[in-house]
Amino acid sequence: MEPIIQVNNVTKEFKVLNRSEGLKGSIKDLFSHDYKIVRAVDNVSMDIGQGEIVGYLGPNGAGKSTTIKMMTGVLKPTSGSIICNGVVPYDKRTLNAQNIGVVFGQRSQLWWALPAIESFNILKDIYLVEDKDYKDMLELYSTLVDMDSIMHKPVRQMSLGQRTLCDILASFLHNPPVVFLDEPTIGLDVAMKAKIRELVKMLNKEKNTTVILTTHDMGDVDALCERIVIIDKGKKIYDNDIEHLTGLFGAYRTLSVSLSKNKEILTKEELEQMETSVSNLLREQWPDVDMPVSIEDNEIQILVNEAFTGVVKVINAVQDKYKVYDMHITEISTESVIRKIYDGSKIVK
Amino acid sequence: MKCRKYLSMIKAGIMEDMQFRGAIIMTFFGNLLYLLLAFFLWKAIFESSDSPVINGMTFSDTIIYLVFAAALFNFMEMWTVWNMGRDIQDGKIVVDLLMPCGYRRLRLFRGLGEVIVNFFTTLLPTAIIVYFISGKAIHLGLNILWFLISVFFSFFINYYIEFIVGTIIMYTESIWGIDIMKEVVVGVLSGAMIPLAFFPEGFKQIALALPFHAIIDSPMTLLLHPEYGLTDVVNILAMQVLWFVVMGILSDVFFKFSLRRITVNGG
Amino acid sequence: METSDMSMKTASKRRGLRYYFNIYFRIIAQDIKSKLSYRSDFIISLIGMILTDAVEILSFWLVFQNFPSVKGWNFYEMLFLYGFTLVASTPAQCMFDNNWNLRLVVYSGDFIKYCFRPVNLFFYFMSEIFDIKGVGKLFVGLSCIVYSWNKLALPVNFKSLVLLIFGFVFASLIVIAILNLASSACFFIMNSFFVLSLSNTLRGYARYPITIFSGALKFVFTFIAPIAFMAYYPSMAVLRPDNVPVLTWFTPVFGIVFFYISYKVWMKGALSYNGTGN
Repeated sequence: MEPIIQVNNVTKEFKVLNRSEGLKGSIKDLFSHDYKIVRAVDNVSMDIGQGEIVGYLGPNGAGKSTTIKMMTGVLKPTSGSIICNGVVPYDKRTLNAQNIGVVFGQRSQLWWALPAIESFNILKDIYLVEDKDYKDMLELYSTLVDMDSIMHKPVRQMSLGQRTLCDILASFLHNPPVVFLDEPTIGLDVAMKAKIRELVKMLNKEKNTTVILTTHDMGDVDALCERIVIIDKGKKIYDNDIEHLTGLFGAYRTLSVSLSKNKEILTKEELEQMETSVSNLLREQWPDVDMPVSIEDNEIQILVNEAFTGVVKVINAVQDKYKVYDMHITEISTESVIRKIYDGSKIVK
Repeated sequence: MKCRKYLSMIKAGIMEDMQFRGAIIMTFFGNLLYLLLAFFLWKAIFESSDSPVINGMTFSDTIIYLVFAAALFNFMEMWTVWNMGRDIQDGKIVVDLLMPCGYRRLRLFRGLGEVIVNFFTTLLPTAIIVYFISGKAIHLGLNILWFLISVFFSFFINYYIEFIVGTIIMYTESIWGIDIMKEVVVGVLSGAMIPLAFFPEGFKQIALALPFHAIIDSPMTLLLHPEYGLTDVVNILAMQVLWFVVMGILSDVFFKFSLRRITVNGG
Repeated sequence: METSDMSMKTASKRRGLRYYFNIYFRIIAQDIKSKLSYRSDFIISLIGMILTDAVEILSFWLVFQNFPSVKGWNFYEMLFLYGFTLVASTPAQCMFDNNWNLRLVVYSGDFIKYCFRPVNLFFYFMSEIFDIKGVGKLFVGLSCIVYSWNKLALPVNFKSLVLLIFGFVFASLIVIAILNLASSACFFIMNSFFVLSLSNTLRGYARYPITIFSGALKFVFTFIAPIAFMAYYPSMAVLRPDNVPVLTWFTPVFGIVFFYISYKVWMKGALSYNGTGN
């Protein structure tokens, strides 16, 4: 199938002023011409198919929002090309805008003083949505969320969660083939996060909308994305499905052990003491291997890389020294994998 | 220790201001432009008159008066009304009220850095340029000292008035509307738009009975009249000190009163 | 694939003048409705604005207490010019007032949200706010003109009324152009408020006859920062019908050209800013 978005070898460079420090420096800057070139996005390529939900991840300043800005037509690449829905977005920004929906972080794009339904009515006119399609869409929405409680409230009086909900609904309103969601769940409570994820998933399924999601919340990724693309320092370092990602680090297992009969009554000091002594024990046994030890749920967690040491050997070593009341082994979480990728920041294919 | 806290607030203000390199250059050129425009306008006005001295003011007196008035306002600008309005409307003022040093002083020291930058980038260069353009019409003597003392009081009277206007925002939502009214009232009654000397007698008496003239007219009168004896000088300065005290007390009392009213109403 | 085809079809629909008018009126109708629910702010702002204009008139009057005329211009002629600038400023005040918020949304990064709509960016940004207070300016301005017209005993005929209305239209384009240019400075420099306030100072001088300025300034105010077209040149057709300067007839050209330049600069700034923003 023809991909709906094609990003081909895209690079974006910016010119920034070198600022000096201190009071003297700020006087000097008044006359400075000391610029440097920063490469925000470095030779990134990807194809995205219709109906996919792609998690676009990376640490702050990695070049995520720059890429999104180029895909939405706000920015022009320094080199390379992008085609979105058969349109070059930065050459035909307004034409491209008809084909996309965007939710940008906490910045509501709805009219601040108006009730959401009025904003929707205006958007209907702006996007030239047919009456029937509009009605159908609102009907669909009312099956997904409780519309009555939010639609008649001015946006400025809404909670952040309600606002985000409305923004997402607004971005799907003209039934665009592609929707960009930038940090849609930032700052929301757990219940609202779940609601938003559910909504996005339903809309994606119902309308076969392609969703490009940037987020720092791995909960979003786990709930929504089959495929993730990771970018760091402007370079694409990972592009594959989520299973493959965890498989990549499959050699890692987390071993959790409980060293007390009643772990709930352990004090912080006791736990920390356990942590240090376990850590020392492991270091004695395997001086060349790094095995991070941490406390989680009043248990001692050991991250074991099976390429170097078997989990069973570690269990034995711990059991030799301590009485183990409970223990379990878990696969590494997506979040820890991503963190490891950011930390390592090397290209993984 | 206490002193250092204020010093670092001033320093932060200066550095923040210096970040905006375009703005500093722009303000300076803005003042030059104003000087140029005022020059031609009033030249035309004076050329239409038979006498070179009108209401005791020569052409160069008038230009010096008006350009200094504009430069003084630029110099004193700390955006007090706007900043207070913002603090009040988004509720940030509650945090500042917890500080141990009083909101009025806090606002003052936050703005002082900008004022210092303004002094060197706008007031001083404008003064020098006006001095030469006017053919050295400014007498260099004791009057400069009186002028500077007077500007010190002007600054505080202006600040207190702004603080009172800023407090009014607790009662209304309209920052813009309140600020524009203040601007125009202060502008005309201080003499910054038209020197008070050109006012008809009745208007002049009203203006002199109000505190606004102490912001511009008082320092400019002291600067432009080196021939004034000590009694005249003391008279003008004493009037300023009086307004300094009155407005100081008024702004403080009004703020505290309003604060209590608002907290009682739970606004 | 069905969805993509459908939206391609909508996208190719023509977005003509009617489309833009429709959107504009829908948005401003909602904006006015919501603004009227904050009545005290509206009333205070309106009073503030009318007070400002009234004090300006007062300061004219104060000057003319001391001088009967300035370079051959009497109080009523000056009042006419002032009224003309007020009327010419009305469209800028009503329809392009969001320019004053531009730097705030640019510095906070919120500006990006205007870039995702399938409509002209400049239009979309300006449509957000319609400042009804501007009608107060229109009212004061027209009052000045009617009053001085009467005092100057100018003839009331079809020709001068048409000239006056055309003058308003093209002079208002100049006012808008200056506002656009000044506000777009925030795309290029930090803390651009001074540019706006500078442009305001400059605009304040549009109410004086250009003849009081020297040759160089006359040139600047005519061709570079064309404030002379905000009142002086278009007014001359009515005020001095026997002695109309040639440039008066070029008011439409200047209005259209400067508006177009300001629009281009604004758009260019908007799109280049998004790169450096954040």
